[in-house]
Amino acid sequence: MANILIAEDERAINDLIKLNLSLVGHKCEQVFDGASALERALSGEHDLVILDVMLPELSGFEIIGQIKTPVIFVTARVSVEDRLRGLKLGADDYIVKPFEILELVERVKAVLRRTKGESEAFEFDGIRVEFDTRRVYKDGAEVILKPKEFELLSAFITNRNLALSREKLIELVWDFDYEGDTRTVDVHVQKLRQKLGISERLKTVYKTGYRLEI
Amino acid sequence: MNMRFWQKTYILTLILFLVCLNAGILSLTLFTYSKSVRSAEESAGAEQYYVARSFERDLEDMLAASRAQSPSLLMTSYGNYYSERGVFLSFERNGRTVFSSLPEEIEAKSGTIFHKKIGGVRHIVICSDVSGYTMIFAKNVDSLDREFRALTLTYMLTALGVSALLAAVLYFILKSLSLPLERLRETTAKIGEGDLSVSADESGKDEFALLGKSFNSMLGTIKSQMSALEANAEKKQMLVDNMAHELRTPLTVIRGYAEYLERAAVSEEERLVASRYIVSEAERLTKMSEILLDTAYVRENPPEMAEIALDEVLCGTAERLAPKAKEKGVELVCDTENVTVSGNALLLSMLFDNLADNALKACAAGGKVVLRCSSDSASVEDNGKGMNEEELLHITEPFYRTDKSRSRAEGGAGLGLALCKNIAEAHGAKLRFESKIGKGTKVFFDFTT
Repeated sequence: MANILIAEDERAINDLIKLNLSLVGHKCEQVFDGASALERALSGEHDLVILDVMLPELSGFEIIGQIKTPVIFVTARVSVEDRLRGLKLGADDYIVKPFEILELVERVKAVLRRTKGESEAFEFDGIRVEFDTRRVYKDGAEVILKPKEFELLSAFITNRNLALSREKLIELVWDFDYEGDTRTVDVHVQKLRQKLGISERLKTVYKTGYRLEI
Repeated sequence: MNMRFWQKTYILTLILFLVCLNAGILSLTLFTYSKSVRSAEESAGAEQYYVARSFERDLEDMLAASRAQSPSLLMTSYGNYYSERGVFLSFERNGRTVFSSLPEEIEAKSGTIFHKKIGGVRHIVICSDVSGYTMIFAKNVDSLDREFRALTLTYMLTALGVSALLAAVLYFILKSLSLPLERLRETTAKIGEGDLSVSADESGKDEFALLGKSFNSMLGTIKSQMSALEANAEKKQMLVDNMAHELRTPLTVIRGYAEYLERAAVSEEERLVASRYIVSEAERLTKMSEILLDTAYVRENPPEMAEIALDEVLCGTAERLAPKAKEKGVELVCDTENVTVSGNALLLSMLFDNLADNALKACAAGGKVVLRCSSDSASVEDNGKGMNEEELLHITEPFYRTDKSRSRAEGGAGLGLALCKNIAEAHGAKLRFESKIGKGTKVFFDFTT
């Protein structure tokens, strides 16, 4: 989907970000210090830089002014002042450690949508999902999905290979203030499986929720 | 009433002076007046005596010359004559007034002298027996009253003038004398508002200058204590800030990988990698808390001191770290002589373990770490990569790392040297670092007591 540069000096965290962004289909490149981060970011090959503020040699604050690529800051600093500074310097978003994986994925997606525009379509197993027209085709024939079913499918595609709880899905698809039953989710998932024949892909994860495995 | 000290002094001094001045002037007036009265009485007495003697003589002469003539004629001529000179005369015989030029009747006994207002004017009245008559002699002493009034007026004007002059002069003198005090007050008011940059006036040699001097020395002490407190608070705040920051990395890793394990369909290998990260970061947190607790313990509790063999402590450290040294391919040597010091064996072991561990970390394969001790100092030397001056300045600060990624990769919590510093301080000793980039580092543990 997108080519992302991860600049973070903690190997464990760098690996963590890479693992998760790779899962949802992004191509990742890892750097561990400020100098290489700047050098790689200047190449212009990336759609997005995940930038740690406290990098050895050059701090994230120093790097951001010199590059044109969109930036999401990752930092342990939580002060409002720092957050504002980061955003003022032109960061597109801000993630504070420790962060939730889904939050990271969500923010990456949001920034990419703002900067690159909505990705047009996603294809798997002869199924083509067009995000701009909100249409879905299976083997060339259009499958009619209800609006909530389409949004549920989009959420699964965005967070593919990650298990999503029913609560999380309600939050993503039905908004926070939805007061319905979590079984609504089960019904919609069943519909998606039936209409698209993706029972093998859209798996139930024991005690967790559902995961679209691609 | 909100009166300044100098104002109180001023008013009290002024009151005291005015009382004294007026009392003095009053007594002077009274003294002068009574003197005038006395001299007036004396002169009146002398005159009365002369009148009495003349009258006696004239009466005798008249009686001798002619019996027909009445004494009252003589009395009338005396009376008229003396009336013009401000003297009233009156003659009585057997309680009956024979002659009187007095405008009113006066009761008087023979042989008395007193003052009386006659017709609103003061007179000295002298009563005596003259040739069988009781003669009342009343001399006008209005001048005495006039003199008294003039005297009083003069003295009052003088007192007023002197008082006004004094009031003015005293005011300026006291005000200028209390000026240094006022300046000191302004200085303390500024300090009260938190401005410690001011200082008191020390010029001159009087009490105010002395006060200013001791005030400034007090201010100096306060300033240095304040800055020490501020530095201490800053250090503590930095520790807390760093700590909050340091906690976030392991928390991110633990949370992130746990969530990854929960959400992703992971392979066996990925599961292992993730769980290893989780375990090692949890271990780091454990270690961090242990060292922080140790540091706090050493700081709060003075260690129990005993006579211990320093060389045994160092060799113990060498033994404990031998496997690690071997693994890294670093030579670990214990070059000691028998030295006995007063210390806590457990804490000193902790200290040298930390120092030796750091030395091992600084060395590449083929390096060498030497533990030495003499009677006043012990040292840990390595020929590793060394540190620059900037790094040397900060290495005993909590969470400071010379090489962040490597230190963390080797499981350092960034707190070891901070603990070592505390242990050294608890022993009354000092840690001293000598280092050159590329040459290696020497850490000295100097016993100062």
